[in-house]
Amino acid sequence: MSSMKANWKFFFLAALVILVVFPFAYLLLLSMASEWRFPELWPAYFGMRNWEQVVSSETGLISSFLVSTGISFSVATMSTFIGFFISRGIAYHPYKRTITLLTYFPYILAPVVFAACLSYFFLKLGLFGKPVGVFVAQFMVAFPYALIFFSSFWGEKTKSYEELVATLGGNQLQAFRKVLLPIAKNMLIICFFQTFLISWFEYGLTSIIGVGKVQTLTIKVFLFIKESNFYYGALSCCLLILPPVLLLYINKRYVFNKLI
Amino acid sequence: MTISEPLSLKNKASNIGFIFFGLIGILPFVAAFVYALLYSFGLVGAANSGFTTEFWISTWQSGAFIKSLVYSTVVAGTSIFISVSIALWLTLKFRKELEHPILAFAMYLPLAIPGIVAAFFTFQLLAKAGFFSRIAYAFGWITEARQFPDLVNDPYAIGIIATFISIVTPFLLLLFLNVYKNERVDELAQLSQSLGANKQQTVWRVSLPVVLNKTWTLIGLYFIFLLGAYEVPLILGQESPQMLSVLIIREIKQYDLSRLSEGYVVAVIYTVIVTTAAVLLFSRKNDVKHEG
Repeated sequence: MSSMKANWKFFFLAALVILVVFPFAYLLLLSMASEWRFPELWPAYFGMRNWEQVVSSETGLISSFLVSTGISFSVATMSTFIGFFISRGIAYHPYKRTITLLTYFPYILAPVVFAACLSYFFLKLGLFGKPVGVFVAQFMVAFPYALIFFSSFWGEKTKSYEELVATLGGNQLQAFRKVLLPIAKNMLIICFFQTFLISWFEYGLTSIIGVGKVQTLTIKVFLFIKESNFYYGALSCCLLILPPVLLLYINKRYVFNKLI
Repeated sequence: MTISEPLSLKNKASNIGFIFFGLIGILPFVAAFVYALLYSFGLVGAANSGFTTEFWISTWQSGAFIKSLVYSTVVAGTSIFISVSIALWLTLKFRKELEHPILAFAMYLPLAIPGIVAAFFTFQLLAKAGFFSRIAYAFGWITEARQFPDLVNDPYAIGIIATFISIVTPFLLLLFLNVYKNERVDELAQLSQSLGANKQQTVWRVSLPVVLNKTWTLIGLYFIFLLGAYEVPLILGQESPQMLSVLIIREIKQYDLSRLSEGYVVAVIYTVIVTTAAVLLFSRKNDVKHEG
């Protein structure tokens, strides 16, 4: 009886693993396929042709990959560092709770709606349809996340460290450089990767502010879907999934985001 | 003197920080809301000529917003309910097995899939000419693609709900497993059983309440995110009713300028609903804690 139960559990968990791995395998298969018409269960062509074309031709996927990487890297760097320093002021503020609540507003609103309501200002500032505009808009979403993320870092412990540095004659800069930043190193890395992924996965806001001119990978996926070019769509999906899978492999906590 | 100097420097830095926070964290949100509000009352916008409540009345009368709100709430609520149920069941039934390194890694893998990819994948599986339809054909259950049931762009939002569940469940499972461990629910369960509770009572009165009590804020937050989800319903939804974000963007981005203001009416109502929900969620509960 108990072996039957163990068997049932084993098969169920094996099925669960297959279920989890299936999307990755299917998208990879689709990215390597072509002429895969209904009702065929296997594509007429299967090979590296699509991938070779991506490297050599004008699909623009390589440039999209670079644009996405550049924007996400900038958003992650800026929001992590600025978020870290500003979250300190909020954490020690007497109205900490109210300010934290305010921080949630831009973060909780659907980014696409936020962008649509802000598009007038982006147009006036000349940021519409430019990578820098997409960067600013994404930063507005990633920055509150970083503030919320670091809110649990600051407390009595960090305060007492800062006081200790001051007692020993150190200034604020030294307190940050020699004590606070080294303690926060792990959190800074996690926040960096999570804000990187917020930007990397972003579609709606980018489509509004970028107006199709800033073609990040998510925009490309959607364009290929609209063109019914599912093979290139799947290929873009593979490129989109690659960095987070690598991050997961390095450290699971870089991707598991408790706030999203 | 030596004390006041660093203090004033500190205040200066803190003030600059707050100004920056105001400029990036608060001002855009306020500006977006005020702009949408003014637009909805005809006070700004190329096609508008002055204060009017016409757009609010027409939005109310058309019924599209109410339909969309109810539709979005039902879709998001159903997805969250099913995801929480599956994740709780997996946590209670398999928490020990899920500690195995392969399974532990596999549980994290779905987090690498963004919404737009999940929607694309669902479309590839469930569409009329999709993978499942081909399997149905191979088994002789259907003879043409059009005989396959509507599972995407369908009236019951099956494709959207399935995608939401596939996105939310892995996250909730990891969250529940974390809480289960950190709150030492196993020990509490053992204690309750040694005090005479049966298995059923332990699950319903100890394990579940502890886990849900610790996570309901995040579950609520996820519900709000799903309510405003965009790319998944954009790819997998139908023409009408649409989910809130899709409806708002459709109205705001169309060429008919007279309909633009109605889009902003919906955006204003959506923003008020979401911010009220955020206030209710976070003003009573402790801050969401992060593992450092």
